[in-house]
Amino acid sequence: MLSLDYLRTYLWTAPHLLQAILLVLLIRRVFYKQFPIFLSYIGFEVLQFVVLFVMLRSRSVSGGEYYYAFALGSVASASLRFGVIYEVFTHVFRNYPALGGVGSALFRWTAVLLLLLALCLAWLAPGEGTGHLMVMIDVLNRSVSVLQCGLLLFLFLFSGYFALSWRSYVFGIALGLGIYASLDLAIASIRSQIEPRETSLLNDMMMGTGFACLLIWMFYLLAPEREAQLASKELPTHDLETWNQELQRLIQK
Amino acid sequence: MTVTVILVLVGLLALAGLLVLAKGHVGSTANVENLTEQLRSVDVEAFRNLVDPGEEQFLRANLPGSEFRKIQRERMLAAIEYVSCAARNGAILTRVGDAARHSPEPSMAAAGEKLVDTAIRLRLYAFHAMATLYLGLVLPGVRISPVGIAESYEQMTRLVVLLGCFQHAPQGVAAAL
Repeated sequence: MLSLDYLRTYLWTAPHLLQAILLVLLIRRVFYKQFPIFLSYIGFEVLQFVVLFVMLRSRSVSGGEYYYAFALGSVASASLRFGVIYEVFTHVFRNYPALGGVGSALFRWTAVLLLLLALCLAWLAPGEGTGHLMVMIDVLNRSVSVLQCGLLLFLFLFSGYFALSWRSYVFGIALGLGIYASLDLAIASIRSQIEPRETSLLNDMMMGTGFACLLIWMFYLLAPEREAQLASKELPTHDLETWNQELQRLIQK
Repeated sequence: MTVTVILVLVGLLALAGLLVLAKGHVGSTANVENLTEQLRSVDVEAFRNLVDPGEEQFLRANLPGSEFRKIQRERMLAAIEYVSCAARNGAILTRVGDAARHSPEPSMAAAGEKLVDTAIRLRLYAFHAMATLYLGLVLPGVRISPVGIAESYEQMTRLVVLLGCFQHAPQGVAAAL
């Protein structure tokens, strides 16, 4: 039992320590100019951990106060994650002006449809259990995950269809966030239907997921960028007729 | 409870989908060097003929109804094959153009930029054309005209040729232009 407590403390503490290290490294690389919201999100996560850790250890803070702080933090964190998704979206599409209008319109409509879906789900399965605040947070988390998961899937599908290239760090941020959102959707759905005291295993799984996503971010954000190069053998030579027409056009000029 | 089970399954499926899409992305980045080997030739004139309203009008006027619907369905299937092939080439050339626009040679970078732009427009047209052609397949009597795709494909082919010229003799071609 003691070792399980140690594991939980480790799963809660280690990712935030890594986040703090990542924050320092990204600030030193002036990453905040490109991804201000992502950096704010990492900074907020570190700050939230420090505040919650101090509150948990303090004897003057009641359980209710701690959970209110936790709920507020969850709302702010979810809002920042939406900001990060928008930041990823703008980074992917800014190099493709031909897609600007279509991409933005489709992204907006997808968000509206997903919001309606999340509201329907919240109405259909409002959550069960005695801990009113925690159940509310879980239902909120579930709704947020539906939206975030859907938006990220849309982003991957859309850019896959148009064969858009992503900078590796943008891809890493989206992948980490996508894995987190999809597992959060599954876990928050279960958690919203059971008693809060029975959720410790699910909490451990979510902390493990957060840790794994952070490692993905660290890998992609700190690894050197690989540029695609056009090799000389790359261009097609089989379309001789078009070659001929084009050369004739050039000669006539 | 049913909604919860569905949501858990959706979450796990979304995770699997994301991993598959991400794997595809990593694979596509790694194989830039072999991209053009996957290009397939498209006969633009044959495609124009297949979606020519005059040709369709002629067939409609000279064939019995059932015969016309059968032939029109086959023509639509062939046109779908052409469009999907052109769209696939468009996706490949988007990546080739992307690689070219990072070139230190300004003329080549500009040609790469134009190629990316045209290839993306082609994919947009192809998406629209596929929907129209499938509609024509389900309802052979409905008039269809997938505009823009043939022109866009030709423009894209021209840009690939120019990119090839820039690659082999950049100064000469830039001067000729």
